[in-house]
Amino acid sequence: MAAGGQLIVPLGEAGDAPEDLVGGKARGLGRLLAAGYQVPGGFCIATGAYERFIREAGLGDAIQLELGRKSFTEMRWEEIWDAALRIRLAFLRSPIPPELADPIRQAHAHLPSGPVAVRSSAPGEDGIRGTFAGLHESVTDVRDGRSLLNAVRVVWASLWSDAALLYRRELGLDVDRSRMAVIVQEFVEKPVSGVAFGRDPRSPEEDRQILEAVPGLCEDMVSGAVDPDRWTLERSSGKVLHWRPGQRGQGDPEPLLVPEDVASLHETVLSVETLLGYPPDIEWTGRGAELTLLQARPVTSPAKRDDERRWYLSLRPGSGRLSDLAERVAYELIPALEAEGKGFAADELRAMDDPELAEAILVRHEAHDRWKRIYREEFIPFAHGVRRFGQYYNDAVRPTDPYEFVRLLENQPMFASLRNDALAHLAEHVRREPSLAGWLERPEVVEGITRRDSWKMVAAELPGIPGGEAFRHAFEEFLDEHMNLTYQDEPLDDRPDLILNIVRQLATDGGEGLPPTRGGYAEGSGDDVQSREERFLTAVGPERREEALEVLQIGRLSWRLRDDDNILMGRLRNQLQHAVALAAQRLEGAGRLPSGGRVKSSAAETLAEALRNPDGGPVRLEEPGKMAVSGGSRGSAEMSEHREDPGITPRQLVGQPAARGLVTGKVRVIRSTEDFQAFRKDEILVCDAIQPTMTHLVPLASAIVERRGGMLIHGAIIARELGVPCVNGLPNVTDLLQDGELVTVDGHLGVVTVGPPEFDLERKGER
Amino acid sequence: MSRDDEGAPGPNRSEPQESGESQDPSLVHRIRRLVTTQPYGVLATHGGGQAYGSLVAFAFTEDLREAFFATPVATRKYQLLSQNDRIALVVDNRPEHADRMMDVEAITVTGRAREVPHGPDRVRGADRLVARHPQLRSFVAAESCALFRIEVVRFLHVTRFQEVRQWLPGDS
Repeated sequence: MAAGGQLIVPLGEAGDAPEDLVGGKARGLGRLLAAGYQVPGGFCIATGAYERFIREAGLGDAIQLELGRKSFTEMRWEEIWDAALRIRLAFLRSPIPPELADPIRQAHAHLPSGPVAVRSSAPGEDGIRGTFAGLHESVTDVRDGRSLLNAVRVVWASLWSDAALLYRRELGLDVDRSRMAVIVQEFVEKPVSGVAFGRDPRSPEEDRQILEAVPGLCEDMVSGAVDPDRWTLERSSGKVLHWRPGQRGQGDPEPLLVPEDVASLHETVLSVETLLGYPPDIEWTGRGAELTLLQARPVTSPAKRDDERRWYLSLRPGSGRLSDLAERVAYELIPALEAEGKGFAADELRAMDDPELAEAILVRHEAHDRWKRIYREEFIPFAHGVRRFGQYYNDAVRPTDPYEFVRLLENQPMFASLRNDALAHLAEHVRREPSLAGWLERPEVVEGITRRDSWKMVAAELPGIPGGEAFRHAFEEFLDEHMNLTYQDEPLDDRPDLILNIVRQLATDGGEGLPPTRGGYAEGSGDDVQSREERFLTAVGPERREEALEVLQIGRLSWRLRDDDNILMGRLRNQLQHAVALAAQRLEGAGRLPSGGRVKSSAAETLAEALRNPDGGPVRLEEPGKMAVSGGSRGSAEMSEHREDPGITPRQLVGQPAARGLVTGKVRVIRSTEDFQAFRKDEILVCDAIQPTMTHLVPLASAIVERRGGMLIHGAIIARELGVPCVNGLPNVTDLLQDGELVTVDGHLGVVTVGPPEFDLERKGER
Repeated sequence: MSRDDEGAPGPNRSEPQESGESQDPSLVHRIRRLVTTQPYGVLATHGGGQAYGSLVAFAFTEDLREAFFATPVATRKYQLLSQNDRIALVVDNRPEHADRMMDVEAITVTGRAREVPHGPDRVRGADRLVARHPQLRSFVAAESCALFRIEVVRFLHVTRFQEVRQWLPGDS
């Protein structure tokens, strides 16, 4: 019987050990072993070892610091992922003290030589009331003592994985109480593996068992990389009710298990149920006499479909799926999206008659919906390529800075950086030609240009000004190439005034121009990408070099495309919006639609229908001409209090340090295109989230403050690329800060300080 | 489409919200809780170019606009207060969260501390202080003990290590 202070428990004894000490999974395996089932031999590192490690490394404080940063309900999934990444790195960078490492090494030395698997066994994790499979990490094929200690740290850290944090309430996660035991087992690799459910998890009341099998490792199935063969059995008799071959791209599928294998699994599941007292969910490998059980836990129903957390977790595709996605996104989807947008842009909408325009609207609308779906199902999961690389890099290199990996991804040619370069060229034009600069300041230019048509009229004078014709050409090209986007249902290529405002300010800033498009996050070290890459590959080791190169390559692609896909989606939407606006204009002209205001693209179908029926009478839109102003404010308790009581003001707001630097300046809150126009150079850009449709403002900003949090979101990436300090993840910030307010943005610590440290109120009435 | 869904869904798309998670109490409530549960605070004074700090027992009024403390007239802080009445008082709940830094709350009160001359005002103030700290009854009543009233100008409330908000009780 294992005693309380025991650090190592042989797996054969774990069945009798308290769950507190070894966790549910080790206990279950111990009972299977003791009952004579074939289970890979090994040992359990008891929870006491985790506790000592945490205590000696001071990791409890590090976890608290991460999780106490802000209210958990205010944390977005990406921020939770960031917190988990930092916690994992903190674990990996903390040495395991010899009094723990030595017994682990000794126990390892007693196992037969060969690779081991390292798995989690957290108390409560597999409790009968709820199984949250896949929340914690397993490391397979661990070959030496050093890798073993690393794997143990990875499994310990996974007590605080993003998935575990999402389910923290169900798991009862608590820094002071939660613990993790670790199983170290011989790593068994047989030609076929799978899972077996004592009851159908989707309808446990029915007389059914489910068996699943894949060629190779069980992990490949659990991670979704390989589609399994599936048998549905009658639980009482073992009769096969249904067999479904796995979709693995093979020719004529043969079942992976012969009837005797199926029958033996059926029997095993029933006998395990009798032993453990609940219908089990078993992971197994090998067939017939080789059948080996890898784990057994209670069957639980899949989480409710409306649980958004399941969707977040699906955003972490495995390596096989990521490779497929990379191929498809880069070489099929992005080119197709770009081509479709270009095709629409080439249409002469104004030359179309009403039925043709109606058709064009519907085609665009359908395309937009289709791409929205693709965006959600493929582009967003592909963005995980960056996160996977980050974790892979940190596991291998264990850097002091958890985001050092970004240096290997930055400085790729993205649409957003091309746009900023083009903007810089426009400003340069103006700077070189004083008469052009003078023209830009003329009242008819400043006041008179609003839309594209007024630009055309006023810009007709440009050929008469030195450099004017070239500027006109470059400016129009800029609008067509870079501003063919929509912000809040307003096509930005129809707002030359917004860009003129920026060009004017960039051109008169004393000649220093735009900051160079260059990673602002990288600190100090002058090493180039090549040597960083080598350092990474050396840390990974020669055996995994190929794998590491692929992870890096997918990471780079994912980094670049996650920005480009947004811009291309924006272009598609812009084309829809142009068609919708033209339809609205025609219907207004015909007196069928009240004039004034912008029509949303969601009205596309209604407008198309109206164009097709010239005698259809007045058109009713759900919200005619009303534009919602995005602010992202969600009125937390603090916020409503802030509004009610003028005496309460924020003094220091804490978020994430998304891009380094320290800047003091005046706030400009961006809520609409009118705020684009009002933006002045060196103001602090405060917004809900930097969207790809507003990154052209970033070169003017001295710092960025966002409600939306995350170290790898668009705003953070752009800020680092341009070297603009950025703090994000500040709840309600667009309501808490006001235009003109003086703030200091500390991008090193992730803090925004409001106002100067004055004592005016205390001194009132003196002097 | 909404650009908010870049990378992963934003809160506009139904972020996981847990109904059970405790709502953050209002700032004024938090301040009130702190000054009613914590008996002592550090009084900051200064004089002759030198900062000085002393632990004092205090009692706030219900509207949190005033607080009282007492000090013997021979003390350094009494001397300093006679020269300069601008003070700060720091109150925090460290003892409750010694090993959970992120749960520690603190307030810095700024304002002026003026001695309350003998008379009905002093009696009322002393009663308030003694009601909160009965063990100080004879101390406060001693002839050599001065009672001070802090007129609060602002509260700066710190939580989660660095999150700071200001409340001006006079504005509410």
